[in-house]
Amino acid sequence: MKLYAGKILVVDLTNKKVSTEPLREDWLKGYWGCWGLALRYYWELVSPDIDPLSPQNVIVIMTGPFCGTLVPTTSRFCLVSKSPQTGTIFETNTGGAFGPELKFAGYDGIIIKGQADILSYVKIQDDQVSLESAESLAGKGIFETEKWLKDAMGSPDAKTMGIGPAGENLIKYACIGTESYRQMGRGGAGALFGSKNLKGIVCRGTGSISVADMPAFLEKITQHKEANVLTDANLWASTDGTPILVEAMNEAGILPTRNFTYGVFDNRSGINSDAIKAAKRGDRACSSCPLACGKFTHINGAEMEGPEYETLCLAGSNCEIDDLEQVIRFNRLCDDLGLDTISCGNIVGLAMELAEKGRHDFGLRFGQPKAYLEVVSEIAMLSTQRGQELALGAKKLAEKYQALDLVADAKGMEYPAYEPRGNYGMGLAYATSERGACHLRAFTAFSDAPLDVETQTQKVVEGQNFNAIKWSMCVCDFWGSVTHEIMAELLTVALGVTVTPDELALAGERIWNLTRLFNLGAGFTSKDDVLPEKIMNQPLEKGPHAGNVFKKEDFETSKNRYYQLRGWDEKGVPSREKLKQLGLDQLWHR
Amino acid sequence: MEKILYAKPDLCTGCNRCAYVCSAVKEGKFYPTKSRIQINNFTLNGYSVPSICFQCPKPECLEACPEEALYKNENEVVRVDREKCNGCGNCVTACPYGMIEQDAAALAYKCDYCGGDPACVKECAPGAIVFRAEDKELRKLRGLQMKQRIESGNPDQKRHQVGLNLMSLHKGSPKTGI
Repeated sequence: MKLYAGKILVVDLTNKKVSTEPLREDWLKGYWGCWGLALRYYWELVSPDIDPLSPQNVIVIMTGPFCGTLVPTTSRFCLVSKSPQTGTIFETNTGGAFGPELKFAGYDGIIIKGQADILSYVKIQDDQVSLESAESLAGKGIFETEKWLKDAMGSPDAKTMGIGPAGENLIKYACIGTESYRQMGRGGAGALFGSKNLKGIVCRGTGSISVADMPAFLEKITQHKEANVLTDANLWASTDGTPILVEAMNEAGILPTRNFTYGVFDNRSGINSDAIKAAKRGDRACSSCPLACGKFTHINGAEMEGPEYETLCLAGSNCEIDDLEQVIRFNRLCDDLGLDTISCGNIVGLAMELAEKGRHDFGLRFGQPKAYLEVVSEIAMLSTQRGQELALGAKKLAEKYQALDLVADAKGMEYPAYEPRGNYGMGLAYATSERGACHLRAFTAFSDAPLDVETQTQKVVEGQNFNAIKWSMCVCDFWGSVTHEIMAELLTVALGVTVTPDELALAGERIWNLTRLFNLGAGFTSKDDVLPEKIMNQPLEKGPHAGNVFKKEDFETSKNRYYQLRGWDEKGVPSREKLKQLGLDQLWHR
Repeated sequence: MEKILYAKPDLCTGCNRCAYVCSAVKEGKFYPTKSRIQINNFTLNGYSVPSICFQCPKPECLEACPEEALYKNENEVVRVDREKCNGCGNCVTACPYGMIEQDAAALAYKCDYCGGDPACVKECAPGAIVFRAEDKELRKLRGLQMKQRIESGNPDQKRHQVGLNLMSLHKGSPKTGI
């Protein structure tokens, strides 16, 4: 096949069997790869009412058509399943180099079923695949696990996915780590591995990927790289990386601070891009990325690739921690123990506010790093009472302490680093994302009309549809200027078959609607597409949007308009006509 | 003065685009394990070391060849005459850097500077791979790299060990651990 490896690896952990099946080529034109294709497989394999942590649940890992080629920024790969954190369908993706390695081993994706009887790992060496014991890795961190897995493979060039104690302990915001500092962070992918007794996957691939016309493909790639990737629109990723957003979001007044109380952080100079540059040792890239947004930092013996903006905010400004060294330590602990830094920072910030408001004292205070660092391993290991309580997640913690007025979440997933009271689009994006509070589906943070309901609503629909196909190619967010036209042109040259921008646009809408159908099947309705009380009722303090809320009636206007633009009814159910237009009518029998 | 290929590990981001393009040009496919340039990524340490052929002044691969299948061209580039290669693998054993290997038919292959216009250099956005006439700084860099000779192991192992050595010599070498 061109671009694709042509095979899916199927791992049945219960029966200790590995097998391969041909790639469903009939699904490619509608779903393409990564998110879309993984979603289509998952839909076929699992009923929406499945218990996410049961052996009957399935994990689908998928690469995209450009993964393992020179198309810039496309080595990301994804995981689709039902989230143990939200109970919705979810997709989580990461960069690094595991995706290309898997494809060079001969597989576009992996389907993982069942539950192993002992802690295990999957060993993939081209067409030699086996299930092995990982019992000696029980309780080990991700960094040690990665090294052990590479040694077990006997190849330093092998690539890994692995979980830490947080995943083994089924913490619902546990991540999967790869290439040391890169994660499938959100939605609890680590707990899914943990529930299957799967410590990790190690892969070495020595094969190749073909295209229809290599000279023409290389020429197109160079043309787009020079005219559209390495340009002013994207080079911030290279010069600064995501830390540039600290100042940008502060200026916009939407930098969550003090558990979503303020829109700006006065002490941000300790954690902004200049602080990162002062600590920087080098630039790091995912496989095949010329931008290299990763900034490797080192302060007083603490070092890592990162922290990224989301962590600088949730574990920085949101906890009022203004010392980069402490944020690096927090981040590195999360990466090693296997916790999502966005959720973890948000929850610690909530615990700090609970103490502040006199609701409950966890020994955590805004701006105080000692307990903030200690609690990370207590959460991952479930080793103390407060660790166990913070491991519940922000929403359950708030429920326990009658503090639903203080929590910032959507469908049980903690808010990321963009304040909706100063940008209504982000609020709607969180409320309508298929996986709860997510900033990677629609992103309106740079809008110049952040409080215009109609504009923001339209931007959210457009963003979700576009990102659904972009994530199905696994083109990184930081090739921000990529278009349907560019993706279609590259596919056309590589496959030797005409692909149109319109069919990609339609595929994006199709993928988004299929996630909606799954969530409807899982019992979610328009009643779940909501904002937390804090965002609707408690005025934001400080900054250009001080005093503002996202009023319930404005949100309802936005949500109803959103459903209308999508061709969904007032309950958020796609119309029969819409499903027919998208070719989904045969998949939905209600 | 002839241009030479140099690797600057301090600037390497580990993106591997050099290996992708090398294999695309030489093999007609994206086939990084068959690339003539390789990247050793030490992700935990945030460091990467490119492995390049130095086109040694006294090439051990060439000296080890019983068939005289290896030769230096007019630009001092070591090339393989695949008609003469008998697949014995002596060159692979002899190279202390792991930079000559055998294909599926056991024939030797290695970097040939793409005839004087290396594809890898054009793909290297951070400037970690350069092709230019030698100067004092580059001579020093190359000298340090060529000192890292690994006498045993397969090419993968040799490259990895050279990479580890160069990382530990790197002045700001990160020390992991919190």
